Amino acid sequence: MDARVSGQPNYNMAIVKSFALCAVVYLIVGALVGDIIAWQLSFPSLNLNEYLSFGRLRPLHTNAVIFAFGGCTLMATSFYVVQRTCAVPLWSNNLAWFTFWGWNLIIVAAVISFPLGWTQGKEYAELEWPIDIAIAIVWLSYMFNFIMTIANRKTSHIYVANWFFLGMMIMITYLHVVNSLAIPVTLTKSYSIYSGVHDAMIQWWWGHNAVGFFLTAGFLGIMYYFIPKQADRPIFSYRLSVLHFWALMFGYVWLGAHHLQYTALPDWAGSLGAAVSIAMIIPSWGGAINGLMTLSGAWHKLRDDYVLRFLVVSLAFYAMSTFEGPVMSLKTVNALSHYTDWTIGHVHSGALGWVAMVSIGAIYHLLTRLWKTEIYSVTMVNTHFWIHTIGTVIYICAMWVSGIMQGLMWRATDDYGNLTYTFAETVVAMHPYYVLRSVGGLLVLLGAILMLYNVVMTIRGAGQQKAAVQPVKA
Amino acid sequence: MSSLQAFFHTDWQAMTRADVTGLIMAVVLTLLMVALYIWVFKPSNRDNFEQYRDFVNEDEKREVDHGQTK
Repeated sequence: MDARVSGQPNYNMAIVKSFALCAVVYLIVGALVGDIIAWQLSFPSLNLNEYLSFGRLRPLHTNAVIFAFGGCTLMATSFYVVQRTCAVPLWSNNLAWFTFWGWNLIIVAAVISFPLGWTQGKEYAELEWPIDIAIAIVWLSYMFNFIMTIANRKTSHIYVANWFFLGMMIMITYLHVVNSLAIPVTLTKSYSIYSGVHDAMIQWWWGHNAVGFFLTAGFLGIMYYFIPKQADRPIFSYRLSVLHFWALMFGYVWLGAHHLQYTALPDWAGSLGAAVSIAMIIPSWGGAINGLMTLSGAWHKLRDDYVLRFLVVSLAFYAMSTFEGPVMSLKTVNALSHYTDWTIGHVHSGALGWVAMVSIGAIYHLLTRLWKTEIYSVTMVNTHFWIHTIGTVIYICAMWVSGIMQGLMWRATDDYGNLTYTFAETVVAMHPYYVLRSVGGLLVLLGAILMLYNVVMTIRGAGQQKAAVQPVKA
Repeated sequence: MSSLQAFFHTDWQAMTRADVTGLIMAVVLTLLMVALYIWVFKPSNRDNFEQYRDFVNEDEKREVDHGQTK
């Protein structure tokens, strides 16, 4: 493959642009469906028919935000980072485009199959077996291209961001394959090969690691490239980043059991999950501090650097949710929090605060560099930042308050040991918080729409600049 | 038997093969974690790691333009 044109690396940035644009669109789709189901929980009459009911739209929301938005962001940034840090183009452009079209076809398949009710019923792994096989093939094509690009690198060192991306790819491969093993009955129905508590354990081994490797390790790869790059500062401690990586890889796989406290799972397994969860605070906070301290001596940049603002606030949410999660895994806290909306609040502080903000920051960073132009409107980016931050805070505060209230109401008993509240009474008490959550989600959605408009106008502006320059050249 | 002894009491005879496998894995991974911390924080390894602190900001030296496309 011809790696150079005019002595410069012939990077494939078209694939990065395509994945980045898809990510912006899927952010809107995911947030839109999420907000619809939030309003459905507030006002159940909004469940218009079976195809648009909460039960069928909820997996569409989670898959859209995790695998469509998150996946496209990861593929855009990892293909960008691996080329720039290895100083070589992608190993195969054809394979990269196969990954792009394959991944998007899988997303289309999810959009069709979930409203039709085709599901395995496994959280974050709902897609039926033919699509699962397609995911495995496309994911392997992504990983193989990434590994071969690293193998062909012109630098002696493999930068830590690539380790995080690669760790994510390897772990997700075997997590996805093992959790998705199923006996097909028809083209649209299959049953897991596991049963009972084994099925639950395998499911949450996958479920928590979808968070740990897809939504954490991969996005830490983004953090370790884009924060020092945007701040134009060296990483605070490279040693800490190495520790962060290996501790995450060793530790995260053990955490899934903490989702199954007080179930048929053996008690020791839940305790082990909680113990390792607590141990994970050390590397997680080490990583967050590493990112924040990278700004040491450059904090003034936050005043006018709109990209850095997203990246830094994302780290604050990362630190917060990686402390909250281990606390929630402890049996005493879990007895109150489990099955309540506190968990939903926790998940969204990670998803909206950490994953979405670091992604948005990275995409804004890429936008001006890939299209070689200035952003269309800095005011719009700043508005997006504040709308997104306020929306996220409203969302998670509403869920924290309602979740703790819900847990307390469920366990309240009178002097005779009878339950103080009926389940319906707890639902009524939570209604105002559900409305508040829907408003928070709406703000996030509005911010995403603003982002898409800004992105489109920036790209149009770049096109016009190019057209204006060409006649002069001629 | 003190409460501490009771807490740490293990019925080794009752452990299944899966229990023993899990125990070995937990101990090995713990030792590897300890080794990792020693390796990373050993003072003599400091420069070896920290030479890459500014790796991403040096990429302009490795190649020229930003965002090359075919």
